[in-house]
Amino acid sequence: VSSAAVPRARRSVRGWRPGPGLLILIPALAVLALLVAPVVLIALYSVNLKTNLLGVPTKFSTANWSDFLPPGSNPFWDRFKTSIVITLVVSVITVIAAYPLAYFLAFVAGRRRYALLLLLLAPFFTSYLLRVIAWKVILNNHGVFNSLLWDLGLRHQGDGISWLIYSKFSVGLVLFYSWVPFVAVPMFVIMDNLDRSVIEAAYDLGASRFAAFLRVTLPLSIPGVIAGFVFVLIPTTGEFITPLLVGGPDSVMFGNSIQSFFTDTPNWNYGAVLALWLVAIVMVLLLVFGRYLNTDLRDPGP
Amino acid sequence: MSTVSRFGRIAFRSYFTLMVLFLYAPLVVLLIFAFEDSTIQALPWAGFTTKWFHAAFSNTDLTSALRRSVFIGLLAGVAATALGTMAAIAMARPSLRLRPLWTALMLLPLVVPYIVLAIGMVIVLHQLGFTASLTAVFVGHVVIALPYSLLIVLPRLRTLDPSIVEAARDLGSGGFTAFRLVTLPLLMPALVASVIISFTISFDEFAIASFVAPPGTPTYPVFLYSGTRTPALEPEVISIGAIIVAVSMLLVLSAEVGRRWADRRIETA
Repeated sequence: VSSAAVPRARRSVRGWRPGPGLLILIPALAVLALLVAPVVLIALYSVNLKTNLLGVPTKFSTANWSDFLPPGSNPFWDRFKTSIVITLVVSVITVIAAYPLAYFLAFVAGRRRYALLLLLLAPFFTSYLLRVIAWKVILNNHGVFNSLLWDLGLRHQGDGISWLIYSKFSVGLVLFYSWVPFVAVPMFVIMDNLDRSVIEAAYDLGASRFAAFLRVTLPLSIPGVIAGFVFVLIPTTGEFITPLLVGGPDSVMFGNSIQSFFTDTPNWNYGAVLALWLVAIVMVLLLVFGRYLNTDLRDPGP
Repeated sequence: MSTVSRFGRIAFRSYFTLMVLFLYAPLVVLLIFAFEDSTIQALPWAGFTTKWFHAAFSNTDLTSALRRSVFIGLLAGVAATALGTMAAIAMARPSLRLRPLWTALMLLPLVVPYIVLAIGMVIVLHQLGFTASLTAVFVGHVVIALPYSLLIVLPRLRTLDPSIVEAARDLGSGGFTAFRLVTLPLLMPALVASVIISFTISFDEFAIASFVAPPGTPTYPVFLYSGTRTPALEPEVISIGAIIVAVSMLLVLSAEVGRRWADRRIETA
């Protein structure tokens, strides 16, 4: 390239605009076709504009909606409430337990922090079902935990703790177990990228370690905390595998109800109502927390 | 002043160690019981055996399910990373128009529950007159892995010094050449991470696969699930599980070794 050609090349590059930005259209189309379109179809089913049932007219009707939503007693509405409580309790506990992990990695672990993060995340790389199966082996009535208690003489032989499995406890424990390492990641990323000089400044101005944490580090890490919270809250809201494997009759979740309308007793129209309700709940959660979650993608960045 | 006191460091370190033990306990249990002679997984141990490994590997239902999942996982990993990188390149540009719209669209798969995605795919397949297929599983997995890929690649893209690309342009290379020769190599750690994460998501994914994988050709998680319903299959499931755990650990370890090697290379360069 001759020296004279360089400025011209630069100008032509700068002047040619419809470049990289258009790349967004390809993934956007994929999401539109494979996610937005199906949800629109689900919406049509929920108001009977489409149906998989014989004898049901494909005519606009809100009958399924008014059956599901209160007032009125409906087993699926009750199940939804139980489900939400399980989800919230699990999410809060998970975030509280994951925060010190992220803090340790960002501020204590030093140069080994990426190696230790990997150590934390490695179980997450193994099959989810496999880990749930392992928990069954541990929590079963004659499982590892109960037989340990018997061997240690803490409980009578054969007298296992019954609520260890097929209960809300086992569902909660397995969900907590599955999400703790993942929830620590967004918090770690935020903390690790924190401008340390801001914390230094707090010390220079006379703040104690605790005060600096409370007034500088914690507020600055909140976007990571909320991202982590939403990361666990949303998948567990629609959870149905864990209750299938380690849940009992009291811990059947809302996702299981949706699933049942598409497998056991096919009624896509009613199932669509439940599915869309789940989507609506998630959207409300996003309206509340979204601004924290999205900042990373919305800002043009430094 | 360090941000954590000496006592605090001990407390944090102990807590982290305890959590790691908690996270690894089920995996250790899996490894131990893979060699358990009895068909019932309980203490005390009935005796040492490797017969379940032989049984598992001669179970063609199991091995072909495993192969299917690895294949779909690799394809989905690469496809999701390609799409995620396209989105990241566009979104890294401050001048991108309609940013809130694209952001919402790209993050949507992250927030729509998998059960909804799964039944959505069932309905779409029905609408188009298609039957359940592994292609549908692949397509579903690409969509759910896409935002993870974007979230991995975009931050890395933003940390790249724009002056490096500017320099390539000043030296006369076009936009694509500068991307290929400068940005892409620097992006490589993020791309590899994205493929691995996307693979893992696909390899583990049960909800969509359980709905759209044909009954005769289940993916590995779907097979695992049916295995838990059949007690006779459970020891085989556990022994294969132990292998998968071991392989995953090796993968993670080699990724770490690779990262250190790459870092050293950058330092000496």
